[in-house]
Amino acid sequence: MKFEFRTFSRFQKLIFSGAVGLAFCINLGAQDSYNFHEILTASSPSTSRSKEWKPGDGVALEVSGMAWMGDGKLAVATRKGDIWIIDGVLSDKPDDVKFSLFASGLHEPLGLTKEGDDLLTTQRSEVTRLRDKDGDGVADGYLTEADGWNVSGAYHAYAYGPELDEAGEYWVTLNLDMGPHTNNHNGWRGWGGTIGKDGKFQPQSFGMRSPSGMGANAAGDLFFSDQQGTWIPATPIYHLRKGVFYGNQESAKGQEIEGSPMKIEMPKANVPYPQALRSSKEFVPPAVWLPYNKVGRSGTDVQLIDADGKFGPFDGQLLIGEFTNAGVNRVFLEKVGGEYQGACFPFLSGFPAAVLRLEFSDDGPLFVGMTNRGWSSLGNRSYGLVRVDYDPKVPPFAIQEMRAKSDGFELKFTQPVDRETVLAAGAFELENYTYQYSQKYGGDEIQKQILKIELPVVSNDGLTVRLKVDGLREFYVHELRTKGIKSASGGKSLDSPTAYYTLNQIPPK
Amino acid sequence: MNHPCSIEKPFRTYPISSLNIPCWFVGLLFVSGFLKAEPHVVGYERFDDGAVLYSELGCANCHGGSAVEVPRKGPNLAALSLRVRKEWVADFLKDPENGRKGSTMPHMFDGIPEAERETAITDVMAWLGTRPTKLKIRAQRHTNAEAGSAMYHEKGCGACHAATPDFISPHGKLEKFENAISHPDFRKKTDVKGLAYFLGNISTFRPDGRMPHIQLLPEEASDIAAHLWDDQASVPDTKFDVRTWTKADFDAIKRGGEWVNKLNCASCHDGLSEQKAALIKPISSGAGGGCLSDEPAEGRPFYDLSEKQRKSLVAFLKSEKQTSDDDGKLTLAAMNCYACHERDGIGGPVVETNSFFIGDEGLGDSGRLAPPLTGVGHKLKLEWIESVFSGTEGSRVRDYVKTQMPKYPAQAKKMAAWLSKIDSNPDATPIAKVEDLEAGQKLLGIHGGVNCITCHRWEERASLGIQAMDISNLNQRLQPSWFREYLLNPASYRPGTLMPPLWPGGKSMVPDVAGGDAETQIGAIWNFIKNGEGVPEGFPDRASGAFELIPKDRPIIQRTFLNKVGTKAILVGFPGEVNIAIDGASGQPALVWKGKFFDGYDTFFTRAAPFGDPLEEEVFEFEKSTAPMRFRGYELDEKGNPTFLRSEDGLEVSERFSGEDGKLVRTIRWAEGGAEPAKPIHPVGVEFETKATDRAITFTYFSK
Repeated sequence: MKFEFRTFSRFQKLIFSGAVGLAFCINLGAQDSYNFHEILTASSPSTSRSKEWKPGDGVALEVSGMAWMGDGKLAVATRKGDIWIIDGVLSDKPDDVKFSLFASGLHEPLGLTKEGDDLLTTQRSEVTRLRDKDGDGVADGYLTEADGWNVSGAYHAYAYGPELDEAGEYWVTLNLDMGPHTNNHNGWRGWGGTIGKDGKFQPQSFGMRSPSGMGANAAGDLFFSDQQGTWIPATPIYHLRKGVFYGNQESAKGQEIEGSPMKIEMPKANVPYPQALRSSKEFVPPAVWLPYNKVGRSGTDVQLIDADGKFGPFDGQLLIGEFTNAGVNRVFLEKVGGEYQGACFPFLSGFPAAVLRLEFSDDGPLFVGMTNRGWSSLGNRSYGLVRVDYDPKVPPFAIQEMRAKSDGFELKFTQPVDRETVLAAGAFELENYTYQYSQKYGGDEIQKQILKIELPVVSNDGLTVRLKVDGLREFYVHELRTKGIKSASGGKSLDSPTAYYTLNQIPPK
Repeated sequence: MNHPCSIEKPFRTYPISSLNIPCWFVGLLFVSGFLKAEPHVVGYERFDDGAVLYSELGCANCHGGSAVEVPRKGPNLAALSLRVRKEWVADFLKDPENGRKGSTMPHMFDGIPEAERETAITDVMAWLGTRPTKLKIRAQRHTNAEAGSAMYHEKGCGACHAATPDFISPHGKLEKFENAISHPDFRKKTDVKGLAYFLGNISTFRPDGRMPHIQLLPEEASDIAAHLWDDQASVPDTKFDVRTWTKADFDAIKRGGEWVNKLNCASCHDGLSEQKAALIKPISSGAGGGCLSDEPAEGRPFYDLSEKQRKSLVAFLKSEKQTSDDDGKLTLAAMNCYACHERDGIGGPVVETNSFFIGDEGLGDSGRLAPPLTGVGHKLKLEWIESVFSGTEGSRVRDYVKTQMPKYPAQAKKMAAWLSKIDSNPDATPIAKVEDLEAGQKLLGIHGGVNCITCHRWEERASLGIQAMDISNLNQRLQPSWFREYLLNPASYRPGTLMPPLWPGGKSMVPDVAGGDAETQIGAIWNFIKNGEGVPEGFPDRASGAFELIPKDRPIIQRTFLNKVGTKAILVGFPGEVNIAIDGASGQPALVWKGKFFDGYDTFFTRAAPFGDPLEEEVFEFEKSTAPMRFRGYELDEKGNPTFLRSEDGLEVSERFSGEDGKLVRTIRWAEGGAEPAKPIHPVGVEFETKATDRAITFTYFSK
């Protein structure tokens, strides 16, 4: 079989991504510091939403899950229902890449985790333990690890996971049904839950819509992304846990089923989000909003950067896959008042297809799994796998962290800033807004206000800038726009001139 | 025109300065007073031919005498009031330039005495509001303006229209496209769903093909509309929808209808159901008083022509006129086929548009540009040309060229007949008649042939190298004599093509096939393709693109949604054409059938995830059991035969299945202890043999 294998610089990429990816590139992010290396990508001869969609030649690598098998071998689940073991993904030589089929016949698996010698994957109807008893490199046990949710036959009845939390429990999230056969009233659609000792799905929290990606932070707390749609105005990143409600009321009927751990009053609808949040103690805000279009359109996987600096200066932060805009966004979190909140930053863009899965290798590179099918993305290919290598010779100039303070924000930069550019008039603009909490599909930014900023204070080492502002509002997104800020050495511009902090709580003095 | 009219009152009763006057109207007065510009006809600007102008300004619709094969028309005005904002239409009728820069619509009302003009416009508007409004225009639930932008810039819109202003080209800075056809201000003119409806049904509203019909899925049309309208939300905001036009009174409508007749609107516009006036002889001098005047003349449409345009038209009128378009130049210029296609060395993309033609760069320019039309009526069969113009499914053979050939359903028959006629080449050398099928098969392949399949696809099979078009059915498209000519010298038709001359100087490079004679070999290739059976030698043994699951050496297992079984079905196809479906909720068998197994396509790739069925009609259902059971998975032995595991009230039960010589062998085992498993269920209507041992029982189905 013949696979495409290309390394491309940012410039070359512009050429062969054709007109598609670049129509409305808002922000190229930290691209100079990161090189994309295609392991395999391919195009379908038809459009991503065509009824006649067919894969290209070779392995239909519509990546839906990734896990490391050891010895540099990457296990990749595909939406078609196969699991491939790919060797040589860290090599730059095309001939080193070898595919071997580990499992097949699964029903749209959308997650992959290694446990001991086994792989765990979530199919539409169950979590399956894949076991290679005779050690020949091909699974011979497809054992039911957990089930217990309703599968109506609606196409949108996806199931995601499993993902381990800090307490050692596996979590699964269940998409709402949509389309023919939809039944969100029995069997935990829109719920997240853990796998019980009896192999049964234990519902734990609800209000999800399309919770397509989960991942733990450095402390082992799980986070998941949801997607803009009914009740959800933009991509939210939530802290995944028990006993809370995430806002989409279509899953509320599940509370009446036997075994429901929750019975709550629904929050007030058709009011601004802060007001709705205050009307129900179980209703939790996202740790971070990714404002629609400005940062992304449909968040997917959550992946912790834990690379000992081998992926740039962002260890401990989360990366969020972005489907429609074919990109990756970055999230910085801090705990304020015992709850996570923080900022998001546009990070990487221009991937050849919609990004669904992210997985770091121990050596530092990020693996990005892609598939456009069924929706659309800015990518001009249909699916595939790309490796992202960090180039330490071109360190990024970015806002590394954005922290909330009682009277404003503190920005930490990856390199010392040029003071003059920071102190120049108009270097910072800060606006806050929220959304309407309603059943409507998506939602506009409302109650926008421009905040007054005092003269910034730059630390002696030039790495930190303190902004004192007037007009912070709790639960509002605080959009920080910078202009003309340069690094002290080399006069580099910021990779992303904007940051978006979701200020659920203003820290005390 | 003395009847009081409810609509015109605000304009008559109050002074312009009053705040009660709609501001668009005030704006209109200013704009129309100062901005004057000539009509823009792309083909004329490019080729400077008065005959093109004469056709494309619609002159021929009243005066006759154009050799352009497809007459220029105005838009069909049906359901205008659902699609287009009233204010925009009023603005446009007052001065077409206000509606769209470079509009070829003449100023129809400038020839009416000023005192009557405004009333005439409001009356005509009142009448237009009564045109059929039965359309149901539904908005798509989601739109994606970015995807729309990508399609707009790659499907070929950029061949005629300019790139969107903030478009970042992958080819760097674009030249300003001066000859681009401008867009109206879409936000003023329509709403997203109206624009989407138009884009999805272009040939309905633009019957003359000047704005040609690109075939789009409804969601694609909607995405492009969102892009053009600059609606970045994922759901179009209904607050910007075109509002129903206010009802006018009967008298105004009646007067409007009279104006429409008097102004002869139906000579250009469909959808008016009014009579056309008889043809009028044009005044050839272009001197004062007629349509060519530089000032509006009473009772005449006014065109606001540039001096150059006026001179071209006068020269054309004075010249001896073509009565038919025998080389195609006039029609191709008028319809702007030249925006994409070259023919006889004329036309094709210009510097400013060239970079919008994208596709498979591995195929060189042939992989991204529309094919030349030189001799196209000789190249292609009449029926094929017609199917291309009709947009018939399967008529797009270059799927790698992103620019889409539009369809021209209303003109398909006529255009096909015309091109066949003007390009007919009765003196072309016929292809040699060869019966030897084997020679053709060998020549197409890579084992001692001329290696066609190295570059060309064959049905669903990918070629071995670059992916040029499928040649398995080219006999349906091409005329044999053209095929012969082309193979002998590909570059004479398309200079720079990657297609090599395989018979340089008419000499074969494969001496041991068909006597090494070029004519015989070409004839043999044609004959093999025409015969339609067999595949050239050298493809790997793999039917790429087919998704029927065919168990050969080992069983194939596939989970799916299956009718009669449910959402947890697990299918097993065994070699030897015996198959079962297990209900993955209970772990019990549910269906058994012999013959073909299952097609995986819908399960693998169809977004809607429809419930599937076995590939055979005769399927045996197992009896129903209500015993409580819980599925626990399955294990495979070294031959791939599955053993399904389940728990029956705590008792571990397994069922192993294998297919042996067309028989299905099923062995149920259970764990030690006192308990026995539930009574086994069997497929209704299938005989079987039973063999019981300690804690195991074996059934063999289809044993006779």
